[in-house]
Amino acid sequence: MTGQSTALKLLGLCALLAFPLMPFSSEYVLHVAVLIMVYAVLAMGLNVLPGFCDLLDLGYVGFYGIGAYTAGILSLNYDMSFWVVVPLAAALGALCGVLRGAPTLRLSGDYFAIVTFGFTELVVLFLTNEIWLTRGPLGMPGIPPIDINLSWLGIDWRYDFMSETPYYYLGLLMVAFVYVVMCRIEDSRLGRAWLSIKEDPLAAASCGINLMAYKSVAFAFSAAVGALAGCFMARWSMFLAPDVFKFWESFLVLCMIVLGGLGNINGAIVGSVVLIALGEVLRVVLPHFGLPTETRFLAYGLLMILIMRFKPGGIFPAIAATSKKSRLIMDLKARLQAERAG
Amino acid sequence: MDTILNIDGVSKRFGGLLALADVSFEVKKGHILGLIGPNGAGKTTMFNCIAGIYTPTEGTITFDKGGAPVSVGGSRPEQMTQMGVARTFQNIRLFGSLPVLDNVRIGRHCRAAQGFWGAVLRTKAQKAEEKLLVEQSLEYLDFVGLKHKALDLSSSLSYGDQRRLEIARALASQPKLLLLDEPAAGMNPQETGSLVDLIHAILEKDVTVVLIEHDMKLVMSICEHLVVLDHGVKIAEGGPREIRENPEVIEAYLGRGAAHA
Repeated sequence: MTGQSTALKLLGLCALLAFPLMPFSSEYVLHVAVLIMVYAVLAMGLNVLPGFCDLLDLGYVGFYGIGAYTAGILSLNYDMSFWVVVPLAAALGALCGVLRGAPTLRLSGDYFAIVTFGFTELVVLFLTNEIWLTRGPLGMPGIPPIDINLSWLGIDWRYDFMSETPYYYLGLLMVAFVYVVMCRIEDSRLGRAWLSIKEDPLAAASCGINLMAYKSVAFAFSAAVGALAGCFMARWSMFLAPDVFKFWESFLVLCMIVLGGLGNINGAIVGSVVLIALGEVLRVVLPHFGLPTETRFLAYGLLMILIMRFKPGGIFPAIAATSKKSRLIMDLKARLQAERAG
Repeated sequence: MDTILNIDGVSKRFGGLLALADVSFEVKKGHILGLIGPNGAGKTTMFNCIAGIYTPTEGTITFDKGGAPVSVGGSRPEQMTQMGVARTFQNIRLFGSLPVLDNVRIGRHCRAAQGFWGAVLRTKAQKAEEKLLVEQSLEYLDFVGLKHKALDLSSSLSYGDQRRLEIARALASQPKLLLLDEPAAGMNPQETGSLVDLIHAILEKDVTVVLIEHDMKLVMSICEHLVVLDHGVKIAEGGPREIRENPEVIEAYLGRGAAHA
């Protein structure tokens, strides 16, 4: 890695950290930034299935919903802290991921997609109809904001997340955490096994990879990340309704990773930035032209058609991009070059 | 002489089609066996039965993985690889959008152990294993002569090199038995010549080889023992000279009457 790109990365990080302190960053701008972060986590989580394992998942938002409602119910009814809820929601998400995965292990392509599509409808129907648990279409208002409470340490100190700024920093932390975990997995035995399943399942099995086991791990992990995003969202927006988790959301997240490049972690983040920012800009701009704000969905469609036509691999088409930059491979590259020269 | 693989009365039926009919033969440890026959004779079906992709409709396949022979008919492909049966494919099946090195690292999958938590936490054991995987993969690449292309995209390799990479990937699982499905297909004479050397080198590593091949010159020159299939039936078995003079084999390849011509 050159010194220049390291410097550029540091500069980018500083810009991200200083962003809320800038004069132009109003509550609204920060709100959009946090929204982008939630979708970036969703996009990275979804990427595991279609991007790494070639399993088209149309129902990812179901796990988002499961995570959000888990957080909502546990926080409202049992007054649990966010920090306790996160691992519980992620674990429940992973469990649901495996449960959904079990009947679909032998399916691929369109058949798998249809089952996942059914799953997301199932989640929305459950959230709408199980009124005793979720209050149904009335939604779930009054979820407390995230707080840091050190009373269990015997220190009388408490901080409530009352504005967008703390959510911004926590969201940044969450994106960084998921990003690092994703990169580490991509450049590992597990990640390579997933990519081999994507490339050629038969050859992968012949290499000794247990397809069912590795797909199950992918289902669990992907779902856990989705639930994590949901958990954050519940305590951030403080209101939940079944409508939020409609099929359209799954499709939006899928658009993000297709736009960024299926199987590319950076692409997932870029895709979420582009689509969310585009949506917000159009929401402001379209009324000036006398168009209803709903026309922005047309713009999404247009964008997808353009990317399919001119750059079908997405903005970053390379898969396994992390491993190409790992120290092990960089060392090897230098060694091979030296051997060739010597 | 020990038998490493014993095929006993194996039949494979696809609906109304009998692809293999009561085929029996033995593979001796440390030797190379050629499986030949006209197109559609059932050679690749036999490979798929041995490698666990198909379950034989009838009959048993016994494999000696060291110690007592075990019946393996109906095992899954990954179990067969774990036990020590590796294969290449007739139509090359590489992981095309991954680098050459990654193909071999994936081939080494079943001889490594790190899972999810190792990858996330980057434990010492995981780092050591990753390093070892790279070194071992390079050895296999060096063995087939592709070390200098380790970081190239595998789909960018020439046809002959792709065949070699498939062999390296198969060898990376440390097989006791290697199934090569038409390794010389599409190779020029020069590439075929170096393939012969490679197969001899593999045999020296104490790996038993079963070879499907249409290039008769290659088959006759390196196989000590041949099994001939035609329409799913074993029609002959023996040394190269015997097979060459067997009227039934000539008939299968060239048609009725050719044997007497």
